[in-house]
Amino acid sequence: MLICRLIFLVLAFSLLIPAAAQDEPQYAGLDMDLSGTTIKMAAIGGGQYEVMYDSIAVFEEATGATVEIIALLDGFAIDQKLKVDFATGAADYDVAWDHTSFVAQYTPFLHPLQDFFSEEELAAFSPAILDAATIDGNLYLVPRHADISPIHYRADLYSDEAIAAAYMEDTGEELTVPTNLDQIDRQARFFVENGHSAFGYTLAGKEEALTGRFYEMLFASGGALFDENYHPTFNDEIGVAVAELIAGWYQDGIIPADTTSLLWDGVAQNFCNNDVAVKLEWYGWYAYFQDADSCAVAGNFGLARGFTGLSIGGDHVRPSGWAGAHAFSIPATAPNPQGGAQLIKFLTSHQVAYEEATLGFLPVRDDVWERVIADAADAENPLDRERLELARIQVSEDFKTPPLIAEWIPFSNLFYPQLQAIILGDIDAQSGLDAAAEETRELMESAGYY
Amino acid sequence: MAAKVKAKQQNAVAQGTTQNRIDAGLFPFLLILPAIIVIVLVIAFPLLYSLYVSFTPYELLRPNSLNFTLGKALRNYQKLLNDDVFWRSLWNTVIFLAITVNLSYLLSLALSQLLARVTVGQSILRTLLMVPMMFAPILVGMQFRWFFNANVGLVNNFLISVGLIQEQGQIAWLVDVPLGMISIIIASIWMNIPVLTIILLAGTLSLPAETFEAAEVDGASGWQKFRFITFPLLAPFSYIALTIMSLDIARAFDIVRIMTDGGPARRTEMLWTYITRLAIEDTKFGLGSAMAWITVSLSVLFTLYFFRQLVKARIVR
Repeated sequence: MLICRLIFLVLAFSLLIPAAAQDEPQYAGLDMDLSGTTIKMAAIGGGQYEVMYDSIAVFEEATGATVEIIALLDGFAIDQKLKVDFATGAADYDVAWDHTSFVAQYTPFLHPLQDFFSEEELAAFSPAILDAATIDGNLYLVPRHADISPIHYRADLYSDEAIAAAYMEDTGEELTVPTNLDQIDRQARFFVENGHSAFGYTLAGKEEALTGRFYEMLFASGGALFDENYHPTFNDEIGVAVAELIAGWYQDGIIPADTTSLLWDGVAQNFCNNDVAVKLEWYGWYAYFQDADSCAVAGNFGLARGFTGLSIGGDHVRPSGWAGAHAFSIPATAPNPQGGAQLIKFLTSHQVAYEEATLGFLPVRDDVWERVIADAADAENPLDRERLELARIQVSEDFKTPPLIAEWIPFSNLFYPQLQAIILGDIDAQSGLDAAAEETRELMESAGYY
Repeated sequence: MAAKVKAKQQNAVAQGTTQNRIDAGLFPFLLILPAIIVIVLVIAFPLLYSLYVSFTPYELLRPNSLNFTLGKALRNYQKLLNDDVFWRSLWNTVIFLAITVNLSYLLSLALSQLLARVTVGQSILRTLLMVPMMFAPILVGMQFRWFFNANVGLVNNFLISVGLIQEQGQIAWLVDVPLGMISIIIASIWMNIPVLTIILLAGTLSLPAETFEAAEVDGASGWQKFRFITFPLLAPFSYIALTIMSLDIARAFDIVRIMTDGGPARRTEMLWTYITRLAIEDTKFGLGSAMAWITVSLSVLFTLYFFRQLVKARIVR
C-alpha cells in the first residue's frame, strides 16, 4: 500500500514539475554571478520603449550586478551619440542600442557577438533578422523587436456597395483591398476625386523615412537602389516611374499638401483622423489606431500584406517589405563585455520579449510569436489575431533591410532632398534622380567602393 | 670690513628692487593666468583644433582619416565653394538673418516706445513680454510647427473657420515657397523680441527728460521727437541689441531643425542645418568643420560691423 502511495506521489510530482516549469518566467542570462560589477547601457528612450527596462531589477537581483542606464535618447539622437563616442573612444558602456539600418556604420567599433552567444541561443531568433545583422560573417547585434509595414485601409470604403458600384462603373474593375501599386493608384484617385476620403494615400515625406518608402516601392516594382558594385540604379525607368507616381499624387492632391514635412507621427495622425483611404503603416501604431478615445479610425480599418509594385517592373511579383529591428550591441571598448552579453541575453529572453510584445511590438523570437498568437486566439476583435498572423508572415518572408552599408544614412541625406524636389515639382523625375545618382557615385567613390 | 658690508647691503637692496620690479610685472599676469588657462583650454584649443580638422578629410567613424596633407589641405573649402547646396544654404541664411534681425529690431523698437508710455499695468505688461524668453528654442520650434501644420494647425484652422480658405485648400505653410521661410522667421522674431525690447526700453527710459521738454517747448510733434531725439540717442542701445542678436541668432538652429529641418528640398536649408547634416549625420567632420569656420568668419564680420557702428554712435553722442 505504501509502495502504491509512493508511486502515486512520484507520478503526481512528475506531472506537476513540468507544469510548474512552464509557468515560470523563461528568463535567460541569469546563470552567472556578476556580484560587484556594474553594467552600463546606452538605451533608446521614450514611451513604450522604456517599459522593458523595468524588468532589469530581476536581472540585478539574480546576478548581483548593478545596471546603470547612462543614456535614454530617441533613435536618431542615440545614433549621433554612438558615432561621437565611437569616434572619440568614449564608448565606456557595455550595451548599446542598435538598429539594423544603422549597424553597418558601427561595425569597426563593435564586438562580434558570436563570441558570447551559442548557436542554440541564437536559434530562437528570426533567421532573416540575424542575416540582416551579420556582416562579413560576424554578428553585430541581437534583435529586440522588429517592425514592418502592412497595408492599412479604411474598412468602410471597401464594404460600401454604392462605392463599389461606382468604382466598377468608373474603372471597370471590382473594388477589393489593393495588392499592388497600380491598384492603389487607381483607388486612391477614385476615393479623393469622388469625395470619399480627404486623401487617397499618404507617406512620410522626409529624411530616411522618405528614402525607405521609395526604396520599398522601387523594390516591389522590380527595381533596386544599387547594382552589385554599388553603382546607383534607381534612376532607371522603374525608379522614374515610382518617383513620377509619388509626384503625381502630390500634384493632384491625393497625398497631403504638407507631405514633405511629415514624419511617422504626422502620417499616422492623418490615418487616425480617418482622412486616408489606404496606406502602408508600421504595426507599432496598431494600439493607437484601435484606441477609440484617440482615433476616429478605431474599429474601422483592416490590414493586408504589403503591396507588390508597379506593372512596369513585371507582374507585381515582389511584395514590399522595408523592415528593421531594434537591437542591442556591445561596443568594442566596453569595460565589461561579458556582463553586457549577459544583460542582452536577459533583455532578449523569452519572458522579457513576451512582455514587450504585449505592448504591441512585433517579436523577433519564434517562441514568443507562438505565445502572443495563442493569447490573441480568443481576442474580442479578430483583427488582433489576424494582425499577428500577418505580421509573422511578413517578418519571416518579406523582411528586407536597406543595403547594409555604412553609407546608408549619408546616401539617404543626399537622396531624399532630390526626391522631395521631384515631388514638389521643382525638377522632373529623370533629372532629379540623375542628379541624385551623380551625387551617389561621388559618395561611393570617396568611400572607396570603386 | 665696514665698506664690504655696506657694498653687500647695497647689492642686496639693488637685487631686491629688481626682484620687486619683476614681481610687480608678473603679478597681474599671475592673477589672470587661471582665466587665460581656462580660455585656452575651453575656447582657443577647440577652435584651433577644429580649424586643423577643417584642413583634413576627417570622418567621425574613420579615425585614420584625420591626416593633414599639405597638398590637400584646402580640399574641403574647395569642395564647399563648388557645392550648390552650400551656396543655397548661405543665401538662405543671409536672407533669414537680414529679415529676422531687421524686423525684430523694428518691432522691438515700436514695442519699447509703447511700453515706455504705459502708465497702467506696466509690471504686468513687462512680465508678459518676458514669456517667450522662458521657452527653450526647441519648444518654440515645436509650438510653431504645430501652429503651421497644414492639417491640424492653429493657423489653417483659424483661416478655415473665418472662411478665408476651404478645407480642401489647406495652406502648406512649412512646405511652400516662401511660406516655409516666413514661418521660421515669424517663430524666430517671436523668440527674439523680448530681449531686444528690454534693451531698447531700458535705453528709452534712460534718455534725458530735459531734451524732450525743450523740444516740447519748441513745439515738436510726437513723431519729430522720436525721429530727431529718441532714435538718434538710442543708437548705442540699438547697436548693442543688434550685436547681441547677430551673435545670438544661431539659436534659431533649434527652431529650423524642428520646424523644417532645412527642407523640403533644401528650401529652408541654412548653414547650421547643413553643418549638422555634414558633420554629425554624414560623419564628415572635416567638411563640417570647414563650413563651421566659414560661418564663424561671417558672424565675426557681422559683429565687427555692429561694434564699429556702436563705437561711432557713442562718439557722436
